[in-house]
Amino acid sequence: MANPAIIGKNLSLGYAKGKVRKEILSELAFQLFPGQLTCLLGPNGVGKSTLIKAILGQLKAWVGELVLDGKPIETYTHADLAKKLSVVLTEPFLPGNMTVGQLVALGRIPHTGWTGKLEASDLEAVEKALSATKILYLKEERLAEISDGQRQKAMIARALAQDGKIMILDEPTAHLDLVNRFEIMQLLREISKTQNKAILVVTHDLEIALETADQFWLLNCGTPLISGMPEELVISGQINQLLPGDQFRFNMERGRIEKIAEAGNWKIEGNPDLVFWVKKALEKAGVLGSELTIQVEENPFSVMVNGGNRFAELRELVDFLGAKSK
Amino acid sequence: MKKNSSLFFLFAGLILLILSFLLNVSLGSVSIPPGEILDGIFNGNWEKASREQIILNYRLPKALVAIFAGIGLSLSGLQMQTFFRNPLAGPFVLGISSGAGLGVALLMLAGSAFGFAAAGVGINPWAIVFAGTLGAGLVLVLVSLVAWRVRDSMTLLIVGLMFGSAVSAVVSVLSYFSGAEALKLFTVWSMGSLGGLGWTQVGVLGLVLLLGIVPVIFSVKSYNAMLMGEAYAQSMGINPNRLRWLMILSTGLLAGSITAFCGPIAFIGIAVPHLARMVWKTADHRVLFPASALIGAILLLLCDAMGQLPGSAQTLPINAVTSLIGAPVVIGLVLRKNFSKEF
Repeated sequence: MANPAIIGKNLSLGYAKGKVRKEILSELAFQLFPGQLTCLLGPNGVGKSTLIKAILGQLKAWVGELVLDGKPIETYTHADLAKKLSVVLTEPFLPGNMTVGQLVALGRIPHTGWTGKLEASDLEAVEKALSATKILYLKEERLAEISDGQRQKAMIARALAQDGKIMILDEPTAHLDLVNRFEIMQLLREISKTQNKAILVVTHDLEIALETADQFWLLNCGTPLISGMPEELVISGQINQLLPGDQFRFNMERGRIEKIAEAGNWKIEGNPDLVFWVKKALEKAGVLGSELTIQVEENPFSVMVNGGNRFAELRELVDFLGAKSK
Repeated sequence: MKKNSSLFFLFAGLILLILSFLLNVSLGSVSIPPGEILDGIFNGNWEKASREQIILNYRLPKALVAIFAGIGLSLSGLQMQTFFRNPLAGPFVLGISSGAGLGVALLMLAGSAFGFAAAGVGINPWAIVFAGTLGAGLVLVLVSLVAWRVRDSMTLLIVGLMFGSAVSAVVSVLSYFSGAEALKLFTVWSMGSLGGLGWTQVGVLGLVLLLGIVPVIFSVKSYNAMLMGEAYAQSMGINPNRLRWLMILSTGLLAGSITAFCGPIAFIGIAVPHLARMVWKTADHRVLFPASALIGAILLLLCDAMGQLPGSAQTLPINAVTSLIGAPVVIGLVLRKNFSKEF
């Protein structure tokens, strides 16, 4: 495996205000590899942004070491760091007047002279970033006139044009629709492979992250950072670290989070795929019948309760059982 | 926007600037045709000695001051708008004009208010400039102290506005207690005036202007990065802290000196950057800075020409003209275009 792009060793991070020191994260250890898409998952307020700030060189570690491309991060100047590392942040921005091409060209700022004049190599990098994100056709469009998903791709293209080894994205899929979420994450995965970038994505989309990430970093209050292949974390059950308390659990078969429901005394028979959804509807509605046997039939769909009542729609079944349990 | 059309607009603007300059110089209590002016300046053929006097010692300095002030205020406004990422920011948001106002008010009103001196009749124009510079400088130092402590640009903006209000309040108190004559003098100053400056003063203003433009030239690229906000700018290797100091230095020199020499001139600094963005349809500061400078100079020349009240010896105060003529123009543009998207 290639050398890690970022190594964190025994990191402690926090903020100091006067004499009050508030430690946010302690004893973190991690490695970020080129050619991999790494997803950082964890509840709100656990310190993901703090960690990102430290990696961006905006926050000094209290204890421990952060090594970026073989050198401790403190030895980098702002300008040098900008050539190694680019970001997509959650911060809203936008002079709507700017075209996508101009936005992506901003990514070349660390590489241009003091006037910011774009040389042929800069224009080439812009072009390359636009085609890697598949938005070459948007080059002349103004930012005010494209969709949120397209704009996010443009932001990724800008970060790509900055041409560092490492890209860090803070919730790039927030506010996007389902298809765009998948597309953006797939795109990032592709970029990490084809351009050998180390990409770190902060996200809350567990299901999409499971589909796309090479590595997970799980961050939780009071526990060390857990890293590993997503599938491995599922198998070892460590993924449940994301779900403190006993309300929710990770469903291994379905690859998703679900509420832990009191198991009813039902026996549901039929096609397992349909049974899953019938069961789900009953759990959600909280109808706890006693000793039910439910027969699920396909083509046309219908459910029969205790060999008697037959329902063609789930809503009717839920209403019926609800009335019965009162 | 393509590079060529940007250059074309800049070139057209330059021609427009020269035309406005000629128009400005030829209009006034006596109107003198532009041909005669050019003939007089380049060949020394003046029809009357009085005209030579008018042009060389009154109108030319005034037109130059209009150009200087237009350039300086627009450049300050653009820097403020980009740095604070606020379309309403202008050259005076950090309280610079209020500070200059306080200096001049102390000079003109304090004697009268505290009853230890005669009303400020016949005050030396250099004294006014000195007082204005001192006042603007004082506020600038206070704002800098704050900027040193807080790293947040929004806090800086609010503190600047608060300083401005506090200083204006002091001026109000002074005005309240001062005599009618001194008050009128101060009121006239606060309406702004481009004229009445001698060549030495114009020279000094020009020099300070050049000094104020130097930091702008060195931070064009940083301003482009700042379009995306401080965090992004930092991630692109720009040091926002350094830029903040350059901006305070530059706007202090530009807006401070102009206010000291001409009094506060409203509207130009806020409106011109928007006009530049609308005409050039770009957010690139390599285009916007020269474009704003051009539009600012043209606009102030034209406003001054319109304030001459052709055929009469009276002139309207420049501050009133810029607001009266300029504001409707900008409102019209803003309503026609989708303003918030353009910023």
